Amino acid sequence: MDLGAPYVQRALLEMLLLAVPAGVLGTWIVLRRLAFFSHAVGTASFPGLVLASAWGIAPQLAALATALGFGVAQEGLTRSRRLAPDAATGLLLVGALAAGIVLASDVVDVGAEVDTMLFGSLIGLTSADVWLTAAVAAGALVLDAAMRRSWLATGFEPGSARALGVRPARADRLLLAGTAVVAVVALDAVGALLVAVILVVPAATVRLLTDRIGPLRLGATALAAAEGIAAVWLADALDVGAGPALAVLGGSVFALVAVATALRTRAGAA
Amino acid sequence: MSGLRVSGLSGGYVPGADALRDVAFTAGPGQIVGILGPNGGGKTTLFRALLGELPVRRGEIGLPGPPAYVPQTERARLDFPVSALDVALMGAYARTPWYRRVARADRERAGEALARVGLAEAAGSTFGTLSGGQRQRVLIARALVQDAEVLLLDEPLSGVDGVSGARIEAVFAELRGEGRTLLVATHDVRQAAGWDRVLCLHRRQIDYGAPAAVLSPETLRETYGGELIVLPGGAHAVGVGHHHH
Repeated sequence: MDLGAPYVQRALLEMLLLAVPAGVLGTWIVLRRLAFFSHAVGTASFPGLVLASAWGIAPQLAALATALGFGVAQEGLTRSRRLAPDAATGLLLVGALAAGIVLASDVVDVGAEVDTMLFGSLIGLTSADVWLTAAVAAGALVLDAAMRRSWLATGFEPGSARALGVRPARADRLLLAGTAVVAVVALDAVGALLVAVILVVPAATVRLLTDRIGPLRLGATALAAAEGIAAVWLADALDVGAGPALAVLGGSVFALVAVATALRTRAGAA
Repeated sequence: MSGLRVSGLSGGYVPGADALRDVAFTAGPGQIVGILGPNGGGKTTLFRALLGELPVRRGEIGLPGPPAYVPQTERARLDFPVSALDVALMGAYARTPWYRRVARADRERAGEALARVGLAEAAGSTFGTLSGGQRQRVLIARALVQDAEVLLLDEPLSGVDGVSGARIEAVFAELRGEGRTLLVATHDVRQAAGWDRVLCLHRRQIDYGAPAAVLSPETLRETYGGELIVLPGGAHAVGVGHHHH
């Protein structure tokens, strides 16, 4: 890996910046059981990316529009309570993926970019992209500082949240919107299909090791940063995409930690 | 301290279908009110109304300030990574600005509240690892941190161990001495007989007053219908076959 190359520096910086929302928002995504939503909101941006490429508009803008549209559709579908939230998520996810593929193959000409849209690529990263990720990372920190008590009280026991001075509906909406925005900036690194590798996997891994939110947040940030740097190196060494490299790495680390903690629990019980 | 005043209260979750109607009572400072009624009888609906969370509501509610609410412990998520102290600290959220940490005075207050319910040593324990009675006491400590003049407690004594039950009753007595008003939903008629007032609900107010005046076999039969079991010797028990969660 040539550390002097600007594209490598940008890729490493991007991964380090993404580790911040992976830690602070990833913690809440895991605790509030929003893993499937975060995967779906990333996937939902795919048709937006296809249209952005065809029309020559900023991909982040189109992705954000589709991701937020996804959130609104999700809320509309589940408000009537005739459809369970995860059923609505699954329905919309499949619809978005299918719409993107149909658009990409028959309607507009986007050529070989489809792979990049689905699995990410750090090669073409511009400094504007990195600045945007930095802004979102800062925003995630502010949002977390402002909302963590609301998210904690609402997630712990929603029925008494309002009596504690918390507004649960607003807190939930801000968490979903924050997740959508982070998913959009993660698209460069991991693509529409692998967003959960950043938003879910590091926090889910550290969750196996700690029963406190502070260590969970810090540990998930550190793990996401370490996995991100290792993924850039792996991608460079093996000539594969950084997104898939990160996914394989994150999945392997999770599996190792899961097995190790299970063995420790069994040893403790015996 | 001015207690609680409710008049002509009716309401429910959807327009045109009252879950509870014709509730009118006053509870003074330093009074414990036992709320009796079958599941679905309106105990939780009354609490929602007092908390200002009932979607459809008519009538008047006079409160000295926002009440504290102690939910049933089964409603809390046991896999949440919070300590007993973290939960008690939630009682200070309403007076903590979003850009600040919880104040040191409130951290001390949370520690004191846990000590008051006999859980000073368990402050660092994960909430989900505590026993049911201990969890209930942590939720009561959270309400103590809220420092409300009116406390609403949803079956705080159901299914708790003897040590926890005794400790909770002792805290109730202290709160009564401080001039606070407690509304306690319960299934235990004998327990309610030891408190200051009893409110009987069965989708409407059946009766309200001092236990000696209210707890007659006729009133209990009207309140509980088929769920009431009359024990030998004239004592009453309530059969709770379908506890809802």
